[in-house]
Amino acid sequence: MTRIGRRLRGWTNGVLDLPQDVLQELPRITLIGNKELYIENHRGVLHFSSEQLRLALVNGSLEISGEGLVIRNILGQELAVEGIIGEIRYKGSEENS
Amino acid sequence: MKQPPLASLRGFVTLHVTGPQVEKFINAVTEADIVIWDVRPAGNGASLNLLLDDFFALRPLLKKTGCRTRVTARNGLPFNAAKLWKRKFFAAGLLLFGIGLVLLSSMIWTVKIEGNNRIASEDILQAARHEGVYPFQWIWRMDDPDKLSKKLTSTLPGVSWIGVHRTGTSVKIQIVESDQPENKPLLSQRHLISRTDAVVTEIYAEQGRPVVSRNTRVKKGQILISGAIGDEENMEYVVAKGEVKGLVWHEYNIEVPLNRTRSSYTGERKDRTYLVLGKWAVQLWGYGKSDFAESRTLTEHDPLTWRSFQLPVGLLTEKEMEVLETAETLSPEAAREEGVMRAKNDILARYGTDSAIKSQKILHEKKENGKVYMKVLFEVEERITQELPIVNN
Repeated sequence: MTRIGRRLRGWTNGVLDLPQDVLQELPRITLIGNKELYIENHRGVLHFSSEQLRLALVNGSLEISGEGLVIRNILGQELAVEGIIGEIRYKGSEENS
Repeated sequence: MKQPPLASLRGFVTLHVTGPQVEKFINAVTEADIVIWDVRPAGNGASLNLLLDDFFALRPLLKKTGCRTRVTARNGLPFNAAKLWKRKFFAAGLLLFGIGLVLLSSMIWTVKIEGNNRIASEDILQAARHEGVYPFQWIWRMDDPDKLSKKLTSTLPGVSWIGVHRTGTSVKIQIVESDQPENKPLLSQRHLISRTDAVVTEIYAEQGRPVVSRNTRVKKGQILISGAIGDEENMEYVVAKGEVKGLVWHEYNIEVPLNRTRSSYTGERKDRTYLVLGKWAVQLWGYGKSDFAESRTLTEHDPLTWRSFQLPVGLLTEKEMEVLETAETLSPEAAREEGVMRAKNDILARYGTDSAIKSQKILHEKKENGKVYMKVLFEVEERITQELPIVNN
């Protein structure tokens, strides 16, 4: 993404007040209690065990730890996790904007 | 969404994936647009569900990622069908049973008829059969009940309403018969003649021409009410009807015994009960002899029955009842009264209860051998008509 392009996007966001995930391919994470977790716009599974699930994002990764984690389904870039979710850690490798 | 639509219809398998990089495999599967669900870590790999259609597309992905799979469960229709195919006859039996159940329950088994008194059930069944209502007929080939009842009402005579109801496999035909005028017996042309010699006391001709009048003396066989009306040129015969009463004399020879014995039950009773087995009877209760001087025994056999079959097993009860015989002597007056009473009853029974005894006279009376002999003359007013058919030839 070129610098101008990125700036243009940032500007349109500011003007149109659009949600970030639509434009910048940022993950959208929905957590329901500590039981279900929906992640959109992920970039693949890095690690998967019943205690820990690590997902790749566009920039960075997401670490979910808990108990009895199960991927309920994967559909394209959507992923639903079930289980007892204890911790969600967002590790961003921040790109310069 | 837990699993893709109609997953159980399309069939899905549960795989156990092992390998150094299960995650990579999952990513590869996702990229290849293969839907997987219920991914859970198991052992040193993961187990996941996937549609049967996608299973064969896994091969290159497995090769690429160096994973191995093992199928742990097969679910859904294709697998069940295959399983069933191995037990063809069982499946066929299952299917046949279902078909049989449906066919048998869509068949009429009984046709019941209610409310008919005059019209024979067979006739109604025949008419219903003609309209397509009979046992072992398919229900779907039967007409609507309201149409059926209309048709049956028009075909069956003497019926004012017919209702047809079907509940399940039985058809009930309800019938309301129309009221019919009373059938009068057909009478042939006749005269009314006298049955006996008499003096007419009353004559009333409902139809026909009265020939005699009151206080006429008539002979046996004389015409009382003639069935021929009109003069000799225009003669017509009718059914003579009417009522003629006359005085008739009856002579009765009566004998009444003066001494007689009469037996009556005293109420004392002894019961014996036997169990009947074929030809043998085993006494159960009532052992011992009764001390009755005179008795009468009633025997009741009560075999066990099932429907109309009599079983050779049953109960036999004997009732021995004491009888007391009493002798009584009548006075001649009482004997006479009784004899006359008997004769009067006989007259009423013979010549109709509307006969009236006008007078009675004892002509002769004697006592002999312990009996009273009497000759009594009764003057009775009674109906004296008799029918005589008119024969034209």
